[in-house]
Amino acid sequence: MIEDLKKTFLDELESVKSLADLSNLKVKYLGRKGIITAELKSLSSIPPDERPLHGKKINDIKQFIEEKLDSRESQLKKEELGRQLLSDSLDITLSGKFTTFGREHPINKILSEITDIFVRMGFSVEEGPEVELDYYNFEALNIPKDHPARDMQDTFYISDDIVLRTHTSPVQVRVMEKRKPPVRFIAPGKVYRCDADITHTPMFHQIEGLMVDKGITFSNLKGVLEAFLHRMFGADTPVRFRPSFFPFTEPSAEVDIGCILCNGAGCRVCKGSGWLEILGAGMVNPRVFENVGYDPEEYSGFAFGMGIERIAMLKYSIDDIRLFFENDIRFLRQF
Amino acid sequence: MRVPFEWLKEFIDIKDNADEVAHRLTMIGLEVEAVEHVDGDVVFEVNVTPNRPDCLNIIGIARELAAMYRTPLKFPEHDILAETGELDFNVDILDTELCHRYAGRIIRNIKICPSPDWLKNRLEKCNIRSINNIVDVTNYVLLELGHPLHAFDLSTIKGHLIRVGTPNTVKGQGATAKIKTLDGVEREVSEESLLIWDAERPIAIAGVMGGLETEVADSTVDIFIESAYFEPVSVRRTSKALGLKTESSYRFERGTDIKMLKKALDRTAYLMKEVAGGIVCGKIDIYTRRYMPEEISVRYEKVNEILGLRLTREEISRCLDGLGFEMEESADSLKIKPPAYRRDIKRESDLIEEVARIYGYDRIPAELPKATIGIDVQNSRLKTQGIKNNIKQALLRSGFTEVINYSFMGLHDIDALGIEAGDERRNLIQIKNPLKAEESFMRTTLIPSMIKNLLHNLSHGNRELKLFEIARVFISQKPEVRSRKSEEKTQTAFSLEPSAISLPAEREHLAAIYYKEKTKTLYRDDAHDFYIVKGLVEAILNDLKIYDYSFVRSPETFLHPGQSADIFIMDTKIGYMGALSPAIANSLDIKAHKPSVIVLEIDIDSIIPHGMQQVKYRPLPKYPYIERDTAIIVDSAIEASMLMKLLKSYPSDLIEDISIFDVYQGKNIPEGRKSIAFNVRYRASDRTLKDDEIDVLHNSLVNYILDKTKGQLRQ
Ligand SMILES: [Zn+2]
Repeated sequence: MIEDLKKTFLDELESVKSLADLSNLKVKYLGRKGIITAELKSLSSIPPDERPLHGKKINDIKQFIEEKLDSRESQLKKEELGRQLLSDSLDITLSGKFTTFGREHPINKILSEITDIFVRMGFSVEEGPEVELDYYNFEALNIPKDHPARDMQDTFYISDDIVLRTHTSPVQVRVMEKRKPPVRFIAPGKVYRCDADITHTPMFHQIEGLMVDKGITFSNLKGVLEAFLHRMFGADTPVRFRPSFFPFTEPSAEVDIGCILCNGAGCRVCKGSGWLEILGAGMVNPRVFENVGYDPEEYSGFAFGMGIERIAMLKYSIDDIRLFFENDIRFLRQF
Repeated sequence: MRVPFEWLKEFIDIKDNADEVAHRLTMIGLEVEAVEHVDGDVVFEVNVTPNRPDCLNIIGIARELAAMYRTPLKFPEHDILAETGELDFNVDILDTELCHRYAGRIIRNIKICPSPDWLKNRLEKCNIRSINNIVDVTNYVLLELGHPLHAFDLSTIKGHLIRVGTPNTVKGQGATAKIKTLDGVEREVSEESLLIWDAERPIAIAGVMGGLETEVADSTVDIFIESAYFEPVSVRRTSKALGLKTESSYRFERGTDIKMLKKALDRTAYLMKEVAGGIVCGKIDIYTRRYMPEEISVRYEKVNEILGLRLTREEISRCLDGLGFEMEESADSLKIKPPAYRRDIKRESDLIEEVARIYGYDRIPAELPKATIGIDVQNSRLKTQGIKNNIKQALLRSGFTEVINYSFMGLHDIDALGIEAGDERRNLIQIKNPLKAEESFMRTTLIPSMIKNLLHNLSHGNRELKLFEIARVFISQKPEVRSRKSEEKTQTAFSLEPSAISLPAEREHLAAIYYKEKTKTLYRDDAHDFYIVKGLVEAILNDLKIYDYSFVRSPETFLHPGQSADIFIMDTKIGYMGALSPAIANSLDIKAHKPSVIVLEIDIDSIIPHGMQQVKYRPLPKYPYIERDTAIIVDSAIEASMLMKLLKSYPSDLIEDISIFDVYQGKNIPEGRKSIAFNVRYRASDRTLKDDEIDVLHNSLVNYILDKTKGQLRQ
């Protein structure tokens, strides 16, 4: 009889579809007037010696029913939560509420890239004024007034003594005036020349570098700049140094890399030579040391400078320099 | 400088082909920028640096190649075999400082006609137009030997006399001279410029251009050829003052070969006789200031020290050997006297460069320096750079794209903003030679550029713009206005020079512009644009650990008076932000798009002293907090900042945080009043607070506020 009860319960449990059904079933078996409760109550009408055995059977089945009900209940609750969450569901294919990040200007991107490389080599970062004394921009760098070397740069004048700096080299002089060697720094910044066409803008960016210490050689200049160029353009990039002229360095060098567009085969950008001029450099002219009070017998050093726009144009294949300053976001967002 | 290969080969035996020669030239500092094939010949376009005027001619380039290949140099034919007659002619150098040597020859009975083909062809390869045989020969010798020559029609020179002097010397102090030059222009030449005169008048501007009246014409029979050395700076000044650049002035101002001058004269006469016939007469040669080279020592050890090489004495002298130096060896150095065509060689370092150049830069090994390790701990720029970078990253992460504009502006940019006289932004730095009127001043504010960027992008159909720029502004400094105090303040900017000349203050600014059309979008975002930008400013300042800032209504004329604020850190104004005033927006014709344009400009230099202070850890609270929300109705003139100030002024240690979470005006609130709801969070550091205790405290706080604001509780 008790075995029948168990079977009946399981059948009924099987047909339970909701928590409400389950609750009814629970009442039916375990409620105050439930089947099991009634069974327990009827124990008193059973002979005393049979009571323990019978009682245990009923309690077993009660425990069985409770466990079954509990597990069914948690199962039903889970199902119900699942249904509820499903009704809260979003169209996950709609696009997100996205805050587009801004983009760094390509010139500053290249500038930071170059700065990082030199900072890793132990160079610090310095700055200098953009409106500069003629003295720092020219005279102290061994470019006297009435010297043809001034023709190399078309200068914006504020007055006879004040110019917009035509290069970042005056920072060399300013830093050396303030500090004793050893010095090792780069100076990125804006420079100005009165020139405007497809390859020239009246304002552009340069990075200047200077390293002065005892025993610095031209060989070191080659070592540092080669390391930089290999890091910047790839370890396989050919680098060549050839003689040039800057009034504030001697020996002076122009540094070329193998054309990154044609791999040295010769193309329009490298004018068929297979080489691209990338920076100017040289050993600091002793005259410059004398101007800042360094003893050229004790110290030597090298300086270098490069145009950022040119590097950016090569790296991104941009053929019109003016795009950098039009600030069209269709252009800026590409970088 | 154009160099035909065939011409070069007249002076030196070269086995290498043209491409190889071009490469070798480049590697000794004579960069061949282009190689052109013309009529079966090859023409090199050589970029000659300003220090090497000796290479502005064929023989000079041949000389360099000869030194490098270690082969002899052949000099062109110039011997005058038959000179006829004495010279009935005088030359008088009046300004010997400006003319160190003057030589001339007379050639009689020449026949002016077109040049022979060989002469024409060579000139054409060098991009020089053929004129007639006489002029062409002077140009030919200019290209070949680098020496400018001038031919006068002898019959036009008055008094059988050539004088070389400035108007000061010839006519008296302060006088100028008028001369019509070959190009037909009447020119006034200043008192200090050197001219060539005959007995009566100026007949040429020395080293720059000849006079029209003494020009060689088709009818010319006798000519006088001038070959002289003029002082470079003087020629440069004259040429610059007149705005007149010629092949001749280009060479004289860089320095010509005073010793070559006579050979050049003879070579000219030789060629003229060949192409124009005539009788070459004797010559005049006044050489007042001889070339006296100074001896320069170059120490073997120094050469190796600078180049990082271990060259022997022999190797070093072999490098310098072919360059025409007079050399004398000693135990530790070489004593050198440079030739007259190498006036660029003045010091030891110049000679070290020559050694490196001839030895070959590519043969010097690349070696990283063995450097002292050190870090500049004093460098205040590190902090500045750090702060600048933080600000920039914050803007980029907030969706703002970086722009870079020219540092220039026009006067109308400042006028358009309505910036008044006396405002610092009118202390302008003006460029004397701008490319355009609208680029003739240095920026004192970045806003005009930002507006231009906005307009440019709007015209290309962009409906949302978030742009920023970090750049310097330039404020002219009148030394007398500048107090010591302001100097301390601008510590991070570039301060005054000790001299009387004062540079402008250069200050790093941040500017941003925000514009968003109210288009239909998927998600609502109903905050006013003003608050979006303000939130960004607050986030940036908080990121720099700056909390003591405030926003105060801004008086800037170009901003919307009701939607703009000046930004302060403590008592220092660091910038402003707000909607562009409708008047300006309308004038820019962005009214069609309607929504507001929010601009922001901050002086980064004035943030630096407040930013990135050392962080001190505060222990986390141990006990729980209790919160209370209250809404009050107050006069609508009471702004959030005022209420916050009142709330904060209430004396209690238990108030941890106060925030305003709702401001409402409208239905159920009387005219002229508004409802403000705020939240107060209470916490004690040493115990758990009790509700009834906070009820009492909060009540008292609310009453305090209602009393101060004459407000009432919102039910
Ligand atoms: Zn190429």
